[in-house]
Parts: sequence; C-alpha cells; structure tokens
Amino acid sequence: MIATLIDGIVQGLQLSLMAVGITLIFGLGGVLNLAQGQFAVVGGIVAALCINAGLHPLAACALGVLGAGLLGLVVDRTLLIPAYRSAGEERLLLGLLITLGLSFVLNGFLDYEYSDVSLSLRLATPSFDVAGITIRTASVAVAAIAIVAFALLFVFLKTTLLGKVIRSIIQNEVGAGLCGINPGRIRTLIVVLSAMLAGLGGIAQGLFSSLGTEMGNGLTDYALIVAVVGGVRSINGTLAAGVLLGIVNAFASYYVGAYLTLIILLGTAVFTILLRPAGLFATGS
Amino acid sequence: MKTSRYFVEYLTLLLVAVLLALVPLGLAPLGPGGGDYYLRLATMMLIYMIYTVAFNIIFGHTRQLFLCVGALAGCSAYVSVVLVMRMSFSPWASIPVGIAFAAILGGAFSYVSVRRGLGVIFVGIVTLVFSMIFGNLILGLRVWTNGETGIETRNLRPEALAPGLESYYVILGVLMLALVFYHLLMRSRAGTAFRAIADDEFAAELAGIDVTMYKVLAASVGSALIGAAGAVYAYYSGYINPTVYGPVSVDIAVLVTLLLGGMGTLLGPVIGGVLFAVLDEAVRPLGRLNVLAYGVLIVILVIAFRQGLVAMLRKLTKVRIP
Repeated sequence: MIATLIDGIVQGLQLSLMAVGITLIFGLGGVLNLAQGQFAVVGGIVAALCINAGLHPLAACALGVLGAGLLGLVVDRTLLIPAYRSAGEERLLLGLLITLGLSFVLNGFLDYEYSDVSLSLRLATPSFDVAGITIRTASVAVAAIAIVAFALLFVFLKTTLLGKVIRSIIQNEVGAGLCGINPGRIRTLIVVLSAMLAGLGGIAQGLFSSLGTEMGNGLTDYALIVAVVGGVRSINGTLAAGVLLGIVNAFASYYVGAYLTLIILLGTAVFTILLRPAGLFATGS
Repeated sequence: MKTSRYFVEYLTLLLVAVLLALVPLGLAPLGPGGGDYYLRLATMMLIYMIYTVAFNIIFGHTRQLFLCVGALAGCSAYVSVVLVMRMSFSPWASIPVGIAFAAILGGAFSYVSVRRGLGVIFVGIVTLVFSMIFGNLILGLRVWTNGETGIETRNLRPEALAPGLESYYVILGVLMLALVFYHLLMRSRAGTAFRAIADDEFAAELAGIDVTMYKVLAASVGSALIGAAGAVYAYYSGYINPTVYGPVSVDIAVLVTLLLGGMGTLLGPVIGGVLFAVLDEAVRPLGRLNVLAYGVLIVILVIAFRQGLVAMLRKLTKVRIP
C-alpha cells in the first residue's frame, strides 16, 4: 500500500519533470510542444550511447541532458521561427503542427538508427528496507533528481532577475516587450531549459525501468495530460498534477488494470479542460 | 451566352468523377496481380479523400481542430460491425446507425467546446485525448471488440464492398456524393456562415450569425461523413483493429492531405488525396524511415506551403479553381 503510494509519487515527479517543459514553452512561447517526449528520448539515447562508448554514467547523463538542450536550441532557432512570427491562434496552430511533424521526424529517425539502443541505468544497491517497506534506490534517485530540479527552477524563477523577466513574459508578452524585454532570447532560453528538463525526465525513466526509442509518443501523451490537468500556464499546478496523477496511476493500475487506468487519466484531462480550463488547482477564475 | 454561376464547380465535379472513374481502366493493363494491388491503393485513396472532405468542413471552414477523425471513423465502424455480429443486423442497416453515432459524437464535442469557449488548441487536445480514450476502450472492451486482435469482417460484408471493381465504384459514388453535398452546403446559407466564421468568429457573431449552431452543424455533418467512410472501410478492408483507426494511420494522413491540397477548397481534398497516395507509395520502400518522411513533409507543408496546391494553381494559372 505505502509502496504503491511511494511508487506513484515518484512516477508523478518524473511526469512533472516532463510536463513542466510543456508548461514553460506554452506559457512563454505560446507553442504547445508535442515533441516533448521525443526530447526526453533523445536525452536518454544520447546518454545510453555515451555509456556504450565507455563513459562514466554520470558524465553520460550530463551529456544526455546537454544533448536534449542542444536539440531544443536548434529547434527553437530554426523550425519554430515561423510560429513565433505569427500571433494568437495562428501561432498556436503552427506551433502544434510543427512540433507534431518534428515528433514524427525524431521518432522515425530514432527508430531507424538506434532501435537497438535503450537506456537502463542500474544502481549499485537495487533496494533497501525502511521500517519494513522495501524501497527501490532508483525511486529515491528519481525523486531526488526531480525535487532538486524543481527547487532550482523555483529559486531561479522567484529570486533572479531573469526569472522575474520570464514570469513577466508569461503574464503578458506585449507588456514585457514594452518594458524593454526581448522575448525572443528568453524564449530560446526557456525552450533549451525545457528540453533539458525533458532529457532529465528521460534519464529518470532509464533509472526507473528502461527507455527505448519507441517511448516518445507515450511520454508526450502523459506529459501533455499532466500539463493540461495542472493548467498549461502554472508551474506549481503542473507539479501538483504530476504527483496527483502519478498516485492515481499507481493505485489504479494496481486495482483496476492498465486500460481503465489510462481512461481514468485521460478522462481527468478532458474534464479539467472542460470544467476548470485554468487547471485543477487554480484558485479563482 | 449566359453560363451558370456555378459552371466551374459543376465542370470540376464532372471532371473529378470522370477522371477517377477512369483510374481502374488505367490500372487494368498492369495484369491481374499488380492490378489488384493498385486497385486497392486507389480505393484506399478514395476513402481518405472522403475523410479529408469531411475534415475540410470541420477544420478548413470552421477552424475546429478535430484530431479524432480516426476515432470517429472507428466508432462508427465498430458500432456497425458489432451490430452485425451480435444483433445480426444487415450491414446496410447498421452503417447508418454507425454514421448517426459518429455524427452525434462529433456534434457533442463541438457543442461542448463552443459552449466552453475552447480555443483551437484545446479542441485539438480534447479530441486527441478522445482518440486515445477510443483506442483504450476498444482494447479494454475485449468481449465485444476482440481487443488488439481485431475483428475479421470478411464474412460479414455485403458483396458490393468486397475488394474489386464494384467496390471501387461504390466508394467513388460515396465520394462524389460527399463532394456534391459539400458544394451544395457551401453555396447555401451555411456556406456563407462558414466563410464568415473562418475569417473572424467574433465579427461573425456580431453580424448575427449563430456561430454555435453553424459550428455544431459543420462538426456533425463532417463527423457523419467520417463515419460513413469509416464504416465502409471496415467492410472493404475485411479486418479492423484499433490501430487502423489510430491517430497515426488516419489523422496524420488526413491532415497532410488537406494541407497538400488546400484548406477550404472543393478540389483540395481530391488533389491532396492523389498526391498523398503517390507520396505514400513512394516512401513505402523506405520501410521504417517513412515515419521520418511524413514528419519532414508535415514540417515543410506547415512552414512553407500552408496555402496548399489549389491556391498555388490559382495564382499560377489565374483561373478560378473551386
């Protein structure tokens, strides 16, 4: 029972890592990134390749995260430019379609080139006992990664000037522009940051079980659901939604089976959009 | 000489009908084996054209991003097939039930999203999520749907829908009906409303157009067409499972087809359908790389070629192409 709860929380944290990137890019750039899961897979596969090449796993993971960030940089500076040039619904639509196409490109390429590569990181001690409950070391590691990443993100957004700038753009892009902020460069930064967070999520997946090239779409789907339930503009909401859905996912798969679980999660997403479009945890409206 | 206002449209419809009707004759010299293969491809092309005509009404004209074309088609198909299997309906009686089901479902999505004031992106997410729910429901309701294994429809189908020349012309008939219906819809009051909504929804509302009503109308009519194509496909292909109605097999193809041909045009889905069929066949030898090819195609189309072929031809030839 408690083991399931812990499993759920950890999985939720991992999902939040993936989803917060969607939230950030949507909030700041007005683009709904449908290739987020693919960014995670790229990060994981780069790490796996580095490990195969004989690198230390920690260094390999760092390179994996950087690789995902680099991909984010390239995508932001090339493919997304036409989307940024337009505004409003047009930008949303363009961004959606471009990232959809991008997810296909990445899926196809990874499946073709690296279908036999997968990332599975094994820690020295697989599990330990606390008060009679067996806890996997991997769970602790994933939770630690996620919590540290989120803590850094919060500190960055709340205390630094750059963080303030970012929040001001999320609130009002035009207003921020009038205050002399160049949204373009901040946007690039955020896309890179989001891609790196996704890469971290991919590596967490590798710690948890294993990450293969075919998992991109699944990860995107989960991240999208979490981002939507959290309200696609709120980072706190995303974190809360990730943990909540992680717990629901863990318990539901335990008691009612995989298909129904996914339907429950998807149903939650639909009802959030319909009933509380600002997110499940949004205050006021 | 005074020609009809819609002379160009009539001429186009006639040309499309004649040209598509001649396709099997062109394939005949390929011999019985190769001919069958290409005839199947041509028939599939027609089915995707029907999907695209419907998607054009929903997305091209009223800007409702329905990423559940496959799921709607699948709903209709499964309703129809299960009715035939379990309740011993005849296929011809069960197809309309499937169509009605899809139409109600599509209309309901549209009504709810208009009422809740969802933007295009949220309509996209809700319908995409519905696609995923559909896939999982089919997998979960194993007793009725046979899950991943799918249902053999070979023994259930009417003779007219068995692969061959007859089914090609039956499906071509459905496509032509869809196109004629599209033309009639666009020249009616609804067409004017659709154009106004596509230009500026807010202004349309202010001009006294009942936006909710016309959006729901477009969604239900389009979903009904999708349902028709989906149910016909279920019998034609002889086999259905959740994957053949998945977002990757249907929605992406339909989106690419519409972008290729041109949104909001009569001829767009037809030209796009032909091009897509050719492209699809061209990337088939790439094997697993064809997903990559689709992706590149979508990105290029979206970035550089958003107006589609019909708009380009209009500009080049200075002829009014419907």
